Amino acid sequence: MTDLVLTGLRKTYGDFVALDSTDLTVEQGEFLTLLGPSGCGKSTTLAAIAGLDVPSGGRITFQGRDLYNAETGLCLPPEARNFGVVFQSYALWPHMTVEKNVSMPLELRRVPAAERRARVAETLELVGLAAFARRYPGELSGGQQQRVALARAIVFKPPLLLLDEPLSNLDAQLRLQARSWLKDIQRSLGLTTIYVTHDQEEALAMSDRIVVMKQGRIVQMGRPEDIYGTPLHPFSAQFVGSANLLEAELLSVGDDGLARVRLPNGPEILGHAPLPLTGAGPVSLVLRPERIGLAPVAGPGPVNEIIVQAGAVSYLGEGYEQVLDLAGQSLRRKGERAMTEGPGRIQVAAADLLVFRKD
Amino acid sequence: MAASSALRATDGGRSQAVQWLIWLVTAVLMLAPALPILLQVFVDRPLYDSGWQYGFGNITALLTSPAFGRALLTTLVFAALTVVIAQAIGIFAAIVLGRTDLPGRSLIGGVLMWPLYLSHLIFAVGWLIAYGPSGLVTQFATQIAGGAPWTLYSVLGMAVVAGVSQAPLAYLYCLYGAVKSVDPALESAARTVGAGPFAVLRRVTLPLMLPSIVTSAALNLIIAVETLSIPLFLGRPAKIETISTQLYMLGVASSTPQYGLIASSSLLLIVLVAATLMLQRLILRHSHRYETVKGKGVRTAPLRLGPWRWPLALAMWAFLALGVIVPVICIVLRAFTSFLSPLIAPWHVLTLDNFRQLFGNATLVRSIGNTFFVSIAAAVIATLLAVMIALVVQRSNFRLKGSLEALAYSPRVIPGMITGIGVFYAAIVLPPMGWLRDSLWILVIAYVMAALPLGLGVIQPAVAQISADLDKAARSSGADWLAAMRRVMLPLLRAAMAGSFVLLFVSYLKSYVIAIFLMAPGLEVMGVSMLTLWTNGEVGVTAAFASLQILGIAVFLTAARILMGVKLYD
Ligand SMILES: Nc1ncnc2c1ncn2[C@@H]1O[C@H](COP(=O)(O)OP(=O)(O)OP(=O)(O)O)[C@@H](O)[C@H]1O
Ligand SMILES: [Mg+2]
Repeated sequence: MTDLVLTGLRKTYGDFVALDSTDLTVEQGEFLTLLGPSGCGKSTTLAAIAGLDVPSGGRITFQGRDLYNAETGLCLPPEARNFGVVFQSYALWPHMTVEKNVSMPLELRRVPAAERRARVAETLELVGLAAFARRYPGELSGGQQQRVALARAIVFKPPLLLLDEPLSNLDAQLRLQARSWLKDIQRSLGLTTIYVTHDQEEALAMSDRIVVMKQGRIVQMGRPEDIYGTPLHPFSAQFVGSANLLEAELLSVGDDGLARVRLPNGPEILGHAPLPLTGAGPVSLVLRPERIGLAPVAGPGPVNEIIVQAGAVSYLGEGYEQVLDLAGQSLRRKGERAMTEGPGRIQVAAADLLVFRKD
Repeated sequence: MAASSALRATDGGRSQAVQWLIWLVTAVLMLAPALPILLQVFVDRPLYDSGWQYGFGNITALLTSPAFGRALLTTLVFAALTVVIAQAIGIFAAIVLGRTDLPGRSLIGGVLMWPLYLSHLIFAVGWLIAYGPSGLVTQFATQIAGGAPWTLYSVLGMAVVAGVSQAPLAYLYCLYGAVKSVDPALESAARTVGAGPFAVLRRVTLPLMLPSIVTSAALNLIIAVETLSIPLFLGRPAKIETISTQLYMLGVASSTPQYGLIASSSLLLIVLVAATLMLQRLILRHSHRYETVKGKGVRTAPLRLGPWRWPLALAMWAFLALGVIVPVICIVLRAFTSFLSPLIAPWHVLTLDNFRQLFGNATLVRSIGNTFFVSIAAAVIATLLAVMIALVVQRSNFRLKGSLEALAYSPRVIPGMITGIGVFYAAIVLPPMGWLRDSLWILVIAYVMAALPLGLGVIQPAVAQISADLDKAARSSGADWLAAMRRVMLPLLRAAMAGSFVLLFVSYLKSYVIAIFLMAPGLEVMGVSMLTLWTNGEVGVTAAFASLQILGIAVFLTAARILMGVKLYD
């Protein structure tokens, strides 16, 4: 069942377009992540859904009901939307205890005192903070504060949970724990969730579906596996899994999507075009660093053998990262072994070399 | 598109009702006193008379009066001299106390602030008792020099008294606006390129202080133009008139007040003040060039004065002793003696007569109670109103928040005395306000209006300090605007509200100009009573009254610091 629908949602600040005519649907119980670099409009989208900001055009409906509609001039205030929101800054009220912070949404909904106490206790139990009920936010660690913020957002059982980079203030270790903890709670409550992050790992690990955004536009939408495995835009490949981007000239395309391209001042190689591609012209090649092999690989489809100049090596723990020079363009390669510096050969399957029209 | 760009977030029905109410109250409070003045300028007779004829008669009468031209010129010269003196002292003190290793800096800074807690009226009284024609110090000097070495009854004398009393304002602005917030890295950078410490002061610190200097100069100019007691006590005996003393003479001292002239000179004063503020804006148009990021690093070591340390400290103490401490001591001495003369030691003329007279006079005693009632009521109301206005302006989607802010700050261009005149007119002209004329509430209204910008000046930065996420979180938790403000913002603004209350209370306690035009039997306040006592030549009782007020303010400020943790000007 569809919960949330955005149609042609726009937000402009003067001449600046922060969000460009965006369409999006979110299914009930789904964990959807908005992923993109800083300033791409993730928070803008979230604030529009939460009602904290008035969009410039378009429409937002939730379970068939209009929340915002530019045509009719309707814009429900945040308190009328009943969504749980977790802020990047947590926004805990510093003058109230943890207990009071969490019980406030219930007080505002005039829940009777006895039931209120029970639900606050239950929610604090859920986030593992029962022992901290009497503390003030200033007396908690960052991770604990983040849990209070979540407790406050879910205590009134909102039909939709909105989270804006809730883990970005935690250190790496804690972030990893909080990630699976958050996901568990979301799944056990069956909460429809929209999650904003610029951390691709977080997005891949937690989401049912990822929306990759760039400069106020949606670049690609799909399951984490699809986003990583079959990027449909050089940007999503680059942003998710930080793929290499190469410039090349398209020579010809077959019906099977096999494309023959030529690198400037370099060799002719074979790649794969995930989207229909015709004619000639400049193209972008996308190649994941971990898909660059050293030994000849046997597999379906052709494999390119390319001569490169191997450069500096960095040790990553689980393997090595190395900079390669391919006819003047630089590439990063990841692998268990590093190449010796100087000229050498790499093996790249045509299926791993994605060819996109240059935009 | 047109529909969507007009669309605004709403704060909910009852919140909008409250926002409109706040706007309405502010608008009435601000416009009711201002509009009658404007009307009176163009009406040929007092507003309470019938048969109004409209015209420019009042303005032409004012502009063609030679006395008025002289007063205008005197006012400008006096104000300019005052500003020069106040700024020179303030800037010098800010640099020396804020940047160098002068011994006893914090104590010197503390005493320098005294005039800020005293009114011009008390300060003028203190200076007159010490340095006036028959002042204690003057008599000393006359004995030694064989003739009066100075006269306070001159424009320069007026400017010295006003300048010393306004110096703390310049000092504060320059100290907190610049000296303490200039990134020390900027100065270190200058040092590394070869500038000596004094070159750094001149080339880096001083230019960065420019916005603070301009802002405080504008404020001091306005205060000098408005001030009444100093020109009245020091100028009038020598037949020196300023616009403020003329207004006073026309409206209060005269048995047949000339309302047309009063209104047109009020308008002129308002124009003068507004022009000053505009000039300040014009000068500071590019002030972001002077903005510096607050220094995070370790503060550079204070500038070492070396051999200048002690001579400079001594000079500053001498200045403070003569300019601030001696006048205050003279007030207290005079309060407990029958007269002061270098020929007789004060302990031979000790008496409590002044206080006996003071407490034997029912009107004077009543004025103490009145002052406290009006000051407390007005400080509470103005603080609450300032909080509500600030929250609507800074934290709501209210349609008219721009005009609300403009209205709330409009008293900045209206001198205190004229606020009084305006409220007086409003009570005359608007029929339902008539009952106010015999009630202390008329003073409360005038005080609230006059000092609203002062309260906003404390509240608004405090609101800005509170992250907008906090009220957004309340909104998405289910609170409408009103509930979000009440449950989240108000509790977080408690300290700022206490600060605003203390500041307003003290400024009301010492105020006298606002109430002058509103005086009626039963409505006496301390400031106005003192003014009358002094002009009637009751020096001893005035000194006793002034001592009481100084004591009251000192006790209150100490209590506020201990009980509420409020430190003014910090
Ligand atoms: N009030 C505003 N006025 C003008 N531009 C704004 C305003 N608020 C946001 N923007 C711009 O809109 C764009 C999108 O902002 P948004 O906050 O949605 O980014 P984001 O994707 O959440 O980034 P981040 O990951 O840094 O939080 C940014 O380029 C930002 O500069
Ligand atoms: Mg953001």
